[in-house]
Amino acid sequence: MTPEPVNPVLLERIDASLRRDLRPVRPRASTGVQVAVLLAIYAAVALAGARYFGYYGWRRLSTGAAGLIFPALGGLALLAAAASANAMTPGSKRPAHPAVLLGVVCALMVAIFAVLFGDHRTDRFVPQGVSCLRAGLMWALPAAAGTWLVLRRGFAVDGGAAGMAMGTLAGLAGLTMLELHCPNFRLPHIAVWHTAAVPVSALAGYFLGSKRKAAELMQ
Amino acid sequence: MPRHEELELLMVRYQNGDASAVTELVETLSPPLYRFFTSQFVSRRFADDLLQETWLKIHEVRHTYRPGEPVLPWIYAIARHTRVDHYRRTRRVEDREQQVEQLPEAAATAAPDSRGFDLEAVLRQLPESQREVVVMLKVADMSLEEVARATSSSVGSVKQKAHRAYEKLRGLL
Repeated sequence: MTPEPVNPVLLERIDASLRRDLRPVRPRASTGVQVAVLLAIYAAVALAGARYFGYYGWRRLSTGAAGLIFPALGGLALLAAAASANAMTPGSKRPAHPAVLLGVVCALMVAIFAVLFGDHRTDRFVPQGVSCLRAGLMWALPAAAGTWLVLRRGFAVDGGAAGMAMGTLAGLAGLTMLELHCPNFRLPHIAVWHTAAVPVSALAGYFLGSKRKAAELMQ
Repeated sequence: MPRHEELELLMVRYQNGDASAVTELVETLSPPLYRFFTSQFVSRRFADDLLQETWLKIHEVRHTYRPGEPVLPWIYAIARHTRVDHYRRTRRVEDREQQVEQLPEAAATAAPDSRGFDLEAVLRQLPESQREVVVMLKVADMSLEEVARATSSSVGSVKQKAHRAYEKLRGLL
């Protein structure tokens, strides 16, 4: 293969323009540190939300149910935090697209709820559900803002995917808050309205990430 | 091409504001990056623009490189991002202007080598995603793991694309 020669004048121009602003920069923290900070934000927001509304759900949950729900939520939050940190670092490992992670989060949580809760009644399904979803999303907002603050120095090669990963983490903070707070253990309510906080937040993140990219392209 | 450890050291010196490291990185990495762009059907003028844009982006986000991590996936992820952005921006402008009287500039072509064999033309037969993987593996000398990182995909997916590309190339040669 005959290599295409690069114009030496172009190389000189690139070199000169990079040298013009060559102040030292501080590299970003390691993925481990970023993930730890993101998890702290996730837990702080979920606990603050539950404290604000009251820990009614936590008090009514059996030890077995709590022992299954909260470790699962914590584990998924760990994956979402790692996906968010990686999405903001070019060339980092990405075992799966954030959309796959979102699918796993929704499927796993609905499966856990289906195993634990057997009450299928649906009276006042919509009004109670909307109020829970609103509360979940309201507390996903500070988690999203905190996540963005931690990761804002990064660079996303795929804005939509990065937004989706961050939105998933924020949505998990909202869902965790709802599990701590909401004493309504009817399966349709939890499986639909509580879980919905995650995809709604993730899709909002995806939309914002893509919009940001589109705005950059318009410049 | 220097060894990966040397590239990592150069990147760290670059982050520390060492001007000689900048020159060395630009001289070392520009030819394979240029090759990466010209292999994607872009004209020579666009390849020049893309190379310049990529280096400016690398400079802007150089703090996102983490010492100890492989350099090439980081560089190529940014180059790939720049190429996609450039393509979208160009399409946007073309859609708006609807210039039909001008024919598109011919894609840059490498001269066939002394045996009269033009691998560049053969590579053009491949779909973009496979061509990109082959160029990273064979021109930039990256490992499967590094290509997976640069393209935000899994090693399995890169292996599959490379395998399909080699099968197709074998059939063409």
